[in-house]
Amino acid sequence: MLDAQFIQLLLAGLGTGGIYAMIAVGFNIIFKSTGALNFAQGEWVMMGGLFAAVAVSEMPVWQACLLATAAVTLVGWLSDRIVIRPLRNHAPLTLTLVSVGLAIASKSLVMLTLGKNPQGYPGLSGARKFEVLGAHVDAQTLWILAITVVLMLLTHVFFAHTRYGTALRAACANPEAAALVGISHRGAIAASFALAALYGGLAGAIITPMTLMSYDSGAMLGFKAFSAAMLGGLGNLYGALLGGLLLGVLETSIGGYLTTQFKDGVAFLVLLLILTVRPQGILGRPDVVKV
Amino acid sequence: MIKQTSMFKFLRHALAASLVLCAASAHGETIKLGTILSTTGPAAFLGEDMKDGMRIAIDEINAGGGINGKQIDWVFYDAESQTAKALAATRRLLSQDKVDILVGGGNMSGIAQAMVPLAQQARTPFISTEGAATIASPAKEREWVFKSTVDDSQVFARLADYFKKNGITRITLLHDTSGFGQAAADALRAFAPGQNLQVNYEAFAPSDTDLTPQLTRIRASDTQAIVCWTVTPAGVIFMRQAKQLGLGDRKLIHSYGFVSQRYMELAGADADDVLLVSVKFPVGADLPDDDPLKARIAALTEKFQAKFKRAPNQFVAQTYDAVWLAAGALAKGPEKDRVRAALEGTRQYEGVGGVFNFSADSHSGLAKSDIVLINWKDGRFRLADYR
Repeated sequence: MLDAQFIQLLLAGLGTGGIYAMIAVGFNIIFKSTGALNFAQGEWVMMGGLFAAVAVSEMPVWQACLLATAAVTLVGWLSDRIVIRPLRNHAPLTLTLVSVGLAIASKSLVMLTLGKNPQGYPGLSGARKFEVLGAHVDAQTLWILAITVVLMLLTHVFFAHTRYGTALRAACANPEAAALVGISHRGAIAASFALAALYGGLAGAIITPMTLMSYDSGAMLGFKAFSAAMLGGLGNLYGALLGGLLLGVLETSIGGYLTTQFKDGVAFLVLLLILTVRPQGILGRPDVVKV
Repeated sequence: MIKQTSMFKFLRHALAASLVLCAASAHGETIKLGTILSTTGPAAFLGEDMKDGMRIAIDEINAGGGINGKQIDWVFYDAESQTAKALAATRRLLSQDKVDILVGGGNMSGIAQAMVPLAQQARTPFISTEGAATIASPAKEREWVFKSTVDDSQVFARLADYFKKNGITRITLLHDTSGFGQAAADALRAFAPGQNLQVNYEAFAPSDTDLTPQLTRIRASDTQAIVCWTVTPAGVIFMRQAKQLGLGDRKLIHSYGFVSQRYMELAGADADDVLLVSVKFPVGADLPDDDPLKARIAALTEKFQAKFKRAPNQFVAQTYDAVWLAAGALAKGPEKDRVRAALEGTRQYEGVGGVFNFSADSHSGLAKSDIVLINWKDGRFRLADYR
């Protein structure tokens, strides 16, 4: 039924879901290149929002968002350079654990330098609002949806149709063979960290006008996005998009139609059920072990 | 020459050692006040202010000659917003530091509640500066525990007066699922029957970034007022999205947990017309001159501003009062049971957060007359409804 309430909930869900999707892509890129789960992903989202909040006093919002995204990308690259590279020959599990430490360190560092206060700033179109089929929509929600779609398309083009993207995929799929034709695995990991941080940072910069951001918001966003990545199929770009949007819509529609008391509980229950039926996620391929 | 140097070293060590001994023997001449607050972790945004509120009260007392001539020795531990850490620190305060009184329970109701059995067992007075009513009630089972904050039941009683005055009979409580929000829902469920109030309950997670589902449900109902109960940034999202979804025609009310300048600034124009139910402290300057709190609030505000270079808030007030309440009772000590009895006997103590009255039946000192409704106008909180 296409009534105003449905549209309202759908748009809200898609907006949140778009953010989950962008963060989930970051999870996937690093998972692909290292086999590890990067728990610092959520902290990069938080940094994106807080960096933009600092920059916004000096420049227009869109510039602040771009600058913050660039800064977080640098943070991602540095994280690899300082923490991950010395350990890159270790098992993915080690890297996963190290990323937990990286997350805690990043969070504490932000708390000490930028403080504990939640931050916010106006959206890309200020506080403009629209009415779509009887539903009230913040312009920022439309921005988020548009940016998500454009970014997904760019990512697709990058990995499927550019030389560098193909080289990255090759280096992740088979490091030794790629090295033989002159593609550095080390460089690929560095690029994947920078890229994952870019997604996280941008997601943080564009969601903060709607939700505010404080130094401890990262973990929950990261956790939700990780669930989205699992739901769509870990390591799958389109899975991240699907999983993110699905989780976002699932949360809001359960809240809107069933109960707000156990909104997250019910959403995660559904997620568990889906994963029981399809452990590899909706678009994921099951691991086949050849003997 | 070498010998002389080593001789000198020996003397210096001996001197240092005797100084330490002196300090240790002087220890018996102080009164030990133990404090647990969270100055790091998720609850840290309250912890700093609450710690500074205590600091200023303790400095005042010590500068004024202490308690019966004894200086207060303040032992402080950071709970890091974690119950386990808070309990370990509480045990340390009670068994190792042997404090005379506990003031402050980690600035999280959950932590304060967990500390209650320890204080009871050690038969040590504990003045909690946290919110939940169950920390200090029922008073018969919490002999040693008092609190310096308002009870949710009194806040709802005060709100009910306001609703009656404005002809509001249908309300929605939009609470978060933290201890703070759940306790309010429980308190309202106990309070609402018998009042002329029809209440809907909606919940959200403290980390929620979107309240559209809750607010669209509320919009579909005929509720006249929405009371939001949270201390998290989600409360800003509430104000913003409520206006956006066209709920501006309903009365929007925030709890005392949201009385924060920072949050109001973040909400900007969306904070217009939003009422907050609060203690009198944030609007001290607007109080009528015959209000006993007015002068005291002005004095503390001036002193705090001078010392910490920022304006104090109600969280400063609730710890400042707690330390002064403790000092008043400790003066009747030093035996712990006499301190406890003195606390229970406190009547008409005019603090900065309200007028405190404890009794054997009530270890929660404030009443609904200590609560007012305020709003945010022109960059500061203004009194909106006094009585």
